[in-house]
Amino acid sequence: MREKRLWFQIKRDWVLYAMLLPALLYFSIFHVIPLIGMKLAFQDYRIIGDNVWVGLKHFNVLFSSPAFLDVLKNTIIISSMKVIFFFPVPIILSLIINEVRNGPFRKYVQSVIYLPHFLSWVVITGVWISLLSPVDGGINVIRNFFQLPSLDYMTSKDHIRWVLVISETWRSAGWDSIIYLAAIMKISPGLYEAAKMDGATSLQQMRYITIPELLSTVVTVFILNLGFFMNAGFDQVFNMINDSVISVIDILDTYVYRIGILNGQYAYATAASLFKGVIGVVLILSTHFISKKVSGKGVW
Amino acid sequence: MKKLALFMFTLLLILSMAACSDKTAKENEHDSGGTKTIRVVYKDEGPSNPVAKTYYANLEKALKKDEKLDVKFELVEMPQGTYSEKLNLLLLSGDIPDLIYFQGGDQQMVEQQLLEDLTPYIEKSTYIKEILGTHNLERMKNYPYLLWIKPLDSKTPVIRKDWLEQTASSKELMENPTVDNYYTFFKELVAQSSEGKPKYAITTAGDIGELDYLFEMAFGINQTWLKNGTEYEYSKVSTKEKEKLAFYNKLYKEGLLDPQYLTKQWDTKEKAFYDGETAVIVGTNGKVVDIYNGKMKQVNGDNAEVSVLPPAKGEFQGYAPTDITKESRGLAISSQSKNKDTVFKILDYLASPKGQMFDRIGFEGEHYQVTDSGIELNEKYYNEWYARYWEPEEFTTEKPLKTPLLSEPAEKSRELANEFYSEDNLFLIPEELVSKWDAMENLYKEYATDIITGKQPIGNFDKFVSEWKKAGGDEVTEYANKNIK
Repeated sequence: MREKRLWFQIKRDWVLYAMLLPALLYFSIFHVIPLIGMKLAFQDYRIIGDNVWVGLKHFNVLFSSPAFLDVLKNTIIISSMKVIFFFPVPIILSLIINEVRNGPFRKYVQSVIYLPHFLSWVVITGVWISLLSPVDGGINVIRNFFQLPSLDYMTSKDHIRWVLVISETWRSAGWDSIIYLAAIMKISPGLYEAAKMDGATSLQQMRYITIPELLSTVVTVFILNLGFFMNAGFDQVFNMINDSVISVIDILDTYVYRIGILNGQYAYATAASLFKGVIGVVLILSTHFISKKVSGKGVW
Repeated sequence: MKKLALFMFTLLLILSMAACSDKTAKENEHDSGGTKTIRVVYKDEGPSNPVAKTYYANLEKALKKDEKLDVKFELVEMPQGTYSEKLNLLLLSGDIPDLIYFQGGDQQMVEQQLLEDLTPYIEKSTYIKEILGTHNLERMKNYPYLLWIKPLDSKTPVIRKDWLEQTASSKELMENPTVDNYYTFFKELVAQSSEGKPKYAITTAGDIGELDYLFEMAFGINQTWLKNGTEYEYSKVSTKEKEKLAFYNKLYKEGLLDPQYLTKQWDTKEKAFYDGETAVIVGTNGKVVDIYNGKMKQVNGDNAEVSVLPPAKGEFQGYAPTDITKESRGLAISSQSKNKDTVFKILDYLASPKGQMFDRIGFEGEHYQVTDSGIELNEKYYNEWYARYWEPEEFTTEKPLKTPLLSEPAEKSRELANEFYSEDNLFLIPEELVSKWDAMENLYKEYATDIITGKQPIGNFDKFVSEWKKAGGDEVTEYANKNIK
C-alpha cells in the first residue's frame, strides 16, 4: 500500500524528482562511490596487479609518527578557534543587516561583505601579506602612528593562527550570513507586528523573536559544520604557510597533501583522510544526539 | 520502496561506470592500420594548445620524411592545477600514456614498475648517448627511468649591470668574491638607499634555498652529507651550517636581506628586482636569466642589462652541489606501452641534428627566418619558444645562427654554472623514512628561519641538532653511512 502511494507521488511530482536526479548523480559519483576507495587505507596500492592487504599498517605508522600528532593538534586548535570566533560572526552579521532599514544602503553592505567570498585564497593571501607587511602594511602604519613597533604577523608563531581566523572571517562571514538572513526572512511578520503593538523595542524583538526563531537554523548549520571540523582550511593554510610558522599551522590536510600526493604515499594519506572522516562523522552524530536530547533540535 | 531504491542505485551505478569507461576505449585506439598511435602526456601540451598541436603535427611529418616512421601523436589533456598532482591521479587511475613527462612523483611509479629502464635503449641509441651531459650520465646511472637532457639547473645571482659598475666594491668582489667582500658589496649597495637605489641587497622566494646557491659552498658545505672523520654527517646539522646561519642572520639584522623574503613568491621576488627594491636575485642559469635580462631592459632601459655574479669563495666555491641521484623532471616511457621502441626512436630522432633543428628554434617563418646568410631568430622566438625535448650544450645548424640562442648574460650564467659544477652525495630517502624526513626537514626550516630572523639566538642551533636527531636524524644518518659509497 505504502509503495503504491510512493509511486503515485513520484508520478505526480515527477518533474521535482527529475530535478533531484542531477544532485543524486553528483553525490553518488563524487561522494558515495569514492567511499569504496577508502579500502586503500588497509592496502598497499598497486597500479599493475592487485592491491595487497596490509591491515592496519598505515594506521600504525600514522599514529606513531610525532609529526602526525603535531598536525592533529594544530588542526584541532585552528578548527576550534574558527568554531568559537568565526561561527557566531555570520549570525551577528545577519542580525545587524536585518536591522538596516535603508534599502540601497542594505544592498550596498550586502554586496561588499559577499565580495571576498569570490576571491581565491591566492589573491586573499596577497592582499593580507600587503596589509600586514612589517614595512609598509596598513596595520603596521597604524601601529607606528601610535608609537607601537611593527609586527610581522605572517611569520609570527603567536599571531599566524589569528591571521587565519580573521582572514577566514573576512572572506566568509558575509556569504555565510545569507543562510541566516533567509531564515530571518521566513519569520512571520505577524510576530513582529504583535510585539510592536505590545510596545517591544527593536532589541527586544531581536531577543524574543528573531533569535529564538533562528535557533533551529543555527543548530543545524553548527552540527553540519562540525562534520568539517577536521578541515581546518587547506587552501588557506597552503597559501599562508611559510618556513617560520610550519609548526603552528601545518594541518592534517597539508600533511596529507605533502606525504600523500607529493611523496606518493597514497595509502598512508588515505588512512589519514579516513581517520579525519571518521572524526567528522562521530562529531556530527554525537552533537546531533546531544542537541536532540537537550533542546529537541537536531539535523533530522 | 526497496524496489525503487534498488532501481535508483542500479541506474546510478550504470551511469557512473559509463562515465569511468573512457580508459578501455583509449586502450583500443593503438595501432590502427600501419600507423602507430603514441599517447603523450606533457605539461601544458594538451590538444587545446594550438602550438602543441602544430608541433606534434609537424613532428609526425618530419618523422615520416626523415625516419620513415608512421606515427600519430595523441596528446592527453590535463586538467587545470598542479601538473604532478594531476599526472599522479591520471596514472593511478590506470590510464598510462606511452610517453610521460614527470615533474615529481615518478619514484612511486618506478616502485610500481610502471616505468621502463632506459639504459639498454640509450646504449643502442644513435644520437642520445652522444649528447648526454656529465650530470645526465651520473643521474641515469643512479636512476635510469627519467631522461632530461638539459643544461645544469644551478641557480646564479644577477644584478643590474649599471648598479654593479656604480659600486666601488664591485671590482674587488668580481676579482675575489669572498664572503666578506660580498658583505661589503651588499652594504654599499643599500647605503643611503634612495630613489634609484635598492632598499635591500638581496631577496629570495620564500626560503633560503636561493641564498644557499650563492654562499653555501663558501661555508664548506660542498655536499649534503659531509665527511666528518670516518662518518658522514648531515650538512644541515653541522657546525658549518651554524656559521652559515649566523652570517644570514647578520644580513637580515642589517637590512641587507629583504625582511619580507619569507612571504615572497617567485613573482613578487621578480617584481622587487625590476622595481629596484632589491639589487640581487637568484635564478636558474640560462633561459631564466635571459628572461630577467629581457624584462629588466624592458622596464629600466638598455643600460639595465643584468650581470651575473660569481659564487662566494671560501672553503669551496660553487653554486651549490648538483644533485645526481636522479633527474628531478624528465621523460619516461611506460613499461606498459606496446610501442616502447618507437617512442625511444622518436626521442632519439629529437636528439639528431634534424630533430634538434626542429625542437630548438621553433617553426620556420614564425619563430625564425632563413635567409641566404643564415638563420635569424625573431622576437616571437625569444618571448615564446622553448625546446620541448633536448637541449645539449652544443647546437649546430646547417646555416649559421645570425642571432644567438641566449643573451650574453644568460650565456655567461650557463658558462659559470658549468665552470663550478660539483656533484652532491644526496640519496633517495627510503619509503619507510619519508614521513620522518618530512618532519625533520620542517624542523630545520623553522629553526633556520627563526635563527636568521633573530627569533631564536644562534646558540639554539645545538638544541635543534639534538631535536633533529631524536626526530629520526640518527636513523637517517645510520642509513646514510651504510649507503653512501
